[in-house]
Amino acid sequence: MGPHIIVCIKSVLVHAPMGRSVRTSDSCELNPFDRPALEAALRIKDEQGGSVTVISMGPDSVIFTLQEAIAMGTDRAILLSDPALADSDTLATSTALAAAIKKLAPFDLVLFGSRTADSDTGHVGPQTAILLELPFLGGAYMIERKEKGLIIERKVDGFRERFEVITPAAITIHSSAFDPRDLNLTGIRFAYDEGDVEIWRLGELGLSPEQVGDAGSPTKVLSLSRVDRVRKCEFLSGSTEEQATQLVQRLVETGTIF
Amino acid sequence: MDTFLSEKNKAVRRSVRAFCERELRPIAKEIDHEASFPWEVVEKMGKLGYFGIQAPKELSGAGLDTLSYAVVIEEISRLCAGLGLCVSVHNSVALYPIVVFGNEEQKKKWVPPLATGQKIGAFCLTEPNVGSDASAIESTAIREGDAYVVNANKVWVTNGGVADICLIFVRTDPEAGRKGISVIVAERGTPGFVVGDLEDLCGVRANQVSSIRLYDCRIPSSHILGKEGIGLRIGLTALDSGRIGIAAQAVGIAQAALEEAVQYAKQRRQFGVPIAQHQAIAMMLADMATEVTAARVMVYRAAILRDQGKPYSQASAMAKLYASETSTKVTDKAVQIHGGYGYSKSYPVERYHRDARVTRIYEGTSEVHRMVVARGVLEE
Repeated sequence: MGPHIIVCIKSVLVHAPMGRSVRTSDSCELNPFDRPALEAALRIKDEQGGSVTVISMGPDSVIFTLQEAIAMGTDRAILLSDPALADSDTLATSTALAAAIKKLAPFDLVLFGSRTADSDTGHVGPQTAILLELPFLGGAYMIERKEKGLIIERKVDGFRERFEVITPAAITIHSSAFDPRDLNLTGIRFAYDEGDVEIWRLGELGLSPEQVGDAGSPTKVLSLSRVDRVRKCEFLSGSTEEQATQLVQRLVETGTIF
Repeated sequence: MDTFLSEKNKAVRRSVRAFCERELRPIAKEIDHEASFPWEVVEKMGKLGYFGIQAPKELSGAGLDTLSYAVVIEEISRLCAGLGLCVSVHNSVALYPIVVFGNEEQKKKWVPPLATGQKIGAFCLTEPNVGSDASAIESTAIREGDAYVVNANKVWVTNGGVADICLIFVRTDPEAGRKGISVIVAERGTPGFVVGDLEDLCGVRANQVSSIRLYDCRIPSSHILGKEGIGLRIGLTALDSGRIGIAAQAVGIAQAALEEAVQYAKQRRQFGVPIAQHQAIAMMLADMATEVTAARVMVYRAAILRDQGKPYSQASAMAKLYASETSTKVTDKAVQIHGGYGYSKSYPVERYHRDARVTRIYEGTSEVHRMVVARGVLEE
């Protein structure tokens, strides 16, 4: 029997007209950092068989993200959607995901994107791994299946690290590790006409409202404001050599070069 | 404008747009300049289902609706009108008539390779002396045993230079007038099947438009599409649906011109401010956006009527007429907003203007469409 791989995906906000964030297919898209994780799972399925389940958390209106995953070739799609989940921070999100993943056992791998394009914390993968007490590796570039467990490679600071990992394990996939496949029209028709997205409410996760959402979030976003960057133009004087020396000195001082 | 689109249609738009932005934007200028056909991209499009958008899934098609078809053509044409034309014509007037009029054997033989893009289709109606008056065709197919001997001179064949499967309109009964016209399917490579030189066109240059001639070409009698004598019906049915594609192509070109014009008007400064702040330019942009939106709504309306199984001939004629005329107007204004730069090949708007012009001519001229619309209006 081939592996059961679970991929956690998110719909991220790309447009907020008039500063309002209403999550729909017009304002959101599948997190671009999650696409390589989906691709990694689908390639393993293409090579070894098995099945791929995707999970996302968000309002019912982001169901399209899961339909997109079905169009790419995933077998099962689950949306965790409940008003009590609104305003979850990354820990509360991980709590909900971990509860859902436990219900989907047995599984071999849980994959995540390295981060999200809209909040950029990179917390959810590692936190969920801890809650599930799974071995964790971040930024995987290559996944190779062995008789028992996996060989996983990651690249860090010019080095290539090679790990042996026992499964089940949780892994985040590096954003440039796998080029995600294009959606074909047949897949889109299937996803929208025949595909089934399961919606799980809080009760099905076995969680209480205090554990998730605003109530279950130890961190709160107090405010959000745009940072305006001010560009400053400075002219250097002196001979060409003097200007070059000054330029290099400035670049070293500002940490741009070493 | 996305009000009319289902979530499925929107998913089609997102995926086709992402593909075209990545694959076509970097090469659109070059394939126009060189009038070359981007085989690599076309092969990928075939695998993604773009060549069998509405073909039934049992015959390897994507099984989508007309609205999705319009969206796909619009999105491809936004980046490359020549390829938008290729996909439109292939789907609507080459593949679709086989699906509708072909017998089971014909459908099994030709639909799967066409729907997956392994073979490219063409529609060969126009002749040197026959354009809008399709019933006057002079090409002939004379029955000899279990074959027809075909002599045909077809011009302005969209996809002609790359097509493998061609629907040839011929006269099978010279005495029967309009009822003596049939469609015979000719495969490239058949002895006597000759592809003429590629046309050196003003626009849609990535499309390999050519003439196709058949000289005493023996084609099996099983290649008559449906049956003898229904050629004009096949042609008119195909063109009714094909117009939606050409109208969508015109909208895609106009949309591209509008986007370029908006971007340029915000960047280009004259008299100390971006030219978008000059009312003369802002008004042009307002008109362009309004007309593109109106054209798009008309195209989607025609597509939705077809999907609902309602009469759509008038709607598609109006959409084709309005969208093609809008496209030439909007691309002209985009050139005007760009000033001297708009007349240079350094900017894409001159290409859009060249591409837009032909949409008023092919698959029925604006004048023929006005006749169709007028007839409908007067009959009501």
